[in-house]
Amino acid sequence: MSNLLELVDVRKTYRIGPAEIPVLTGTSLAVARGEFVALVGASGSGKSTLLHIAGVLERADSGTITFDGRDVSKLSRGRRHALRNSKFGFVFQLYHLLPELNVLENVLLPAMIQANAWRTLVRAWPRQQKATAILEELGLSNRLRHRPNQLSGGERQRVAIARALVNDPAILLADEPTGNLDPRTGRTILDVFQRLHRDHHQTILIVTHDVQVAALADRVIKLEDGRVQGA
Amino acid sequence: MMYTLFLCLRYLTRKKIVVFPILAVWLCVMMLIIVNSIMTGFVNRVRSAGRGLMGDVVIQSRSAAGFPYYAQIQTRINRLPQVAASTPVVNAYGLFNLPNFQTSMGVEIVGIDPATQSQVSHFGSDLFWQHAAPLQTAADLAQAQFPASRHSLLTYAQARLKKAINLEEKLRKKLVAMPVITPTTWFAAIRHHWQAIAREDWENANYAVDRSFRDLGYLRRLPAHSTFASDAALRRALVPAVVTFKPPAQARQHYASPTDEPANGCIIGVDLGLYQKDRFGHYHRPADVRFSPAILTVVPVTLRSTLAMPQSRRFQIVDDCRTRVFTADSSQVYAPFKVVQKMAFMQQQDLLGGGTRPARCSQIQIRVHGDSSHAAVVAARRAIAAVVRKFVRKHPRLQDAGLQVQTWDQVQAQYIRAVDNERDLITFLLGLMSMVVVVVIFLIFFMIVRDKTRDIGIIKAIGGSEIGVGTIFLLYGLLISAAGALPGMLAGVEFVRHDNYIHDHILWRYFGISIWNRKIYIFSHIPDQVDMHAVATIVALAILAGLVGAFIPALIASMQDPVEALRYE
Repeated sequence: MSNLLELVDVRKTYRIGPAEIPVLTGTSLAVARGEFVALVGASGSGKSTLLHIAGVLERADSGTITFDGRDVSKLSRGRRHALRNSKFGFVFQLYHLLPELNVLENVLLPAMIQANAWRTLVRAWPRQQKATAILEELGLSNRLRHRPNQLSGGERQRVAIARALVNDPAILLADEPTGNLDPRTGRTILDVFQRLHRDHHQTILIVTHDVQVAALADRVIKLEDGRVQGA
Repeated sequence: MMYTLFLCLRYLTRKKIVVFPILAVWLCVMMLIIVNSIMTGFVNRVRSAGRGLMGDVVIQSRSAAGFPYYAQIQTRINRLPQVAASTPVVNAYGLFNLPNFQTSMGVEIVGIDPATQSQVSHFGSDLFWQHAAPLQTAADLAQAQFPASRHSLLTYAQARLKKAINLEEKLRKKLVAMPVITPTTWFAAIRHHWQAIAREDWENANYAVDRSFRDLGYLRRLPAHSTFASDAALRRALVPAVVTFKPPAQARQHYASPTDEPANGCIIGVDLGLYQKDRFGHYHRPADVRFSPAILTVVPVTLRSTLAMPQSRRFQIVDDCRTRVFTADSSQVYAPFKVVQKMAFMQQQDLLGGGTRPARCSQIQIRVHGDSSHAAVVAARRAIAAVVRKFVRKHPRLQDAGLQVQTWDQVQAQYIRAVDNERDLITFLLGLMSMVVVVVIFLIFFMIVRDKTRDIGIIKAIGGSEIGVGTIFLLYGLLISAAGALPGMLAGVEFVRHDNYIHDHILWRYFGISIWNRKIYIFSHIPDQVDMHAVATIVALAILAGLVGAFIPALIASMQDPVEALRYE
């Protein structure tokens, strides 16, 4: 299998006043197309930072990030925004839905960002159908017009997953998606990821410290003191 | 970038805090439009009153002693195609003494020829008693049923006065009914009521009351058994065909002592202090003021600008004049030109060493032909000035008089400019105060950006760009200011259109507040004129203020680091 995402010797240090906190100290990892990879490690080991750098949400101090055979570490801001919008789907621990928008609008937002004014008009209906279909698949067809504060934690996370999928991303990047949920609800979310991987061959990089989550992955990468320790 | 508009509209409709900046913009726009319109109306009323006072162009001397050869100058300028009419005026200072009222006051005595003065200025139409013939409308004639006796005319005029007062009262009361209107018909009802009490109706009702009072006054002065074959006969008996200082025969017969010589008439300024003015702007003219004797004393000014022996003469008040220029109405007394000229030692004089000193006047007031647009008046002034310059070159005596040829607004420049400046200053100061809108929008947007930090991170994480995020907040500012400015504009314009009714019916009736006291102001109504250019400027500035207020928060939002924003708590 060819590598979809590859990080080589990535380093990142945070500077808080005079103090320097090294988070990633020469980390390398590769995710193959269609692979389900779990990134595990203790709190503060740099998992989330690595995920953000992999998703071009944050810049590394050094090292290269290759996505689909293309070096994306030196891309301009505009191209990074476009890449993030079209190729990456983010799922966060705290769901991060916009409270002013309803479920359908939240899911449609990345598609709206992707479209220009003309496409917005022409493709509004197909896009809405697609978003509705994803939400139906995730069991939220009766919640389309509800606002995030009217949903349970599990439902919110499923909305966040639907939002991440609406632009057909090449890779789904999930940052502790079950971290804020009770075990039972967390299980249903994991089922969603597993189904996506199994049925749609969705490439997934998931950050977790939950052993149960890691057990579902094709491969587990352990991060310790800013370095990948082994598979 | 459609998502920016989409998010803006969502924030606008789902965040309650935006009500405050919208309200702030609304109130500021409304306030600025009201103030600007009232000040513009005031300036324009002052301008139009100022113009009506003295015609279009004025030739005057810098010397208080006036200038000679005015008749020759008049003959020459009357030949100009631009000139419609001209009249000489003598201005003098003196005392006005009313023996019957034991009142005397310092006044400006204006010597005019009433007939030509009426052609040049609004003098004729500014008079109360001689303004229009009584009972002259077709409806009046039909109801008066000539031939008519004094008694039948009095009964009819009293009925008409009652009707006029009822109409005025009815119009005043109309607004009071508004609060009981049901909410479903609210808009239609408001529209109907506003239209029903349109300004024209009000003005007509107001004028009808004054006119009816005047007619009644006329009729009461008629001999008890007079009979009139027609309206024309009645008019002839009461009102002269042209404006005059001569009291009507009946008035002389009944009000002047038969043993006295017929006195010259004089016309007083309406705000000289002899009349009471009520809260609605009506003047209450005591019956005994008209035709009462008055003594005018003029203090002549010599050619060397020294004061000469004061000259006194007996007059009889024949009318009052309301120019709407307070300085004129509160201080001027008009008397026949020749009489005042003589009293001011400005008539032609035989000199001891032989020869004569030509008669003098203070001003020549000129009316320009046609529409009297500003350009036409300026062109006429230029032509008149050329004639005057040519004349002055031939007459060395005039060179010392320092003749000036000015348009009416140049003569009144000091006063008009002051009012103009006041308007600009007040608008500027209120505009400055309205900067608070920028601060309010800035603060609220700053709060919103802080509140929305995580949203900004989310939008950026799913592909929103810096420009996109910045645009959301700029557009948000634009929509908020537009949402405040447009209703503010409508409310401001509607308020200005109905300010007199709001003042009279709401403020006065319900709260007893009278801001525009007609006892004090020379205009019977709050002057107002909506200047659409000013309105457009105010709205544009308000929208710009929204953008300025939103700019820094938008910049902060666009610069947010997405990862930091996502971690924000």
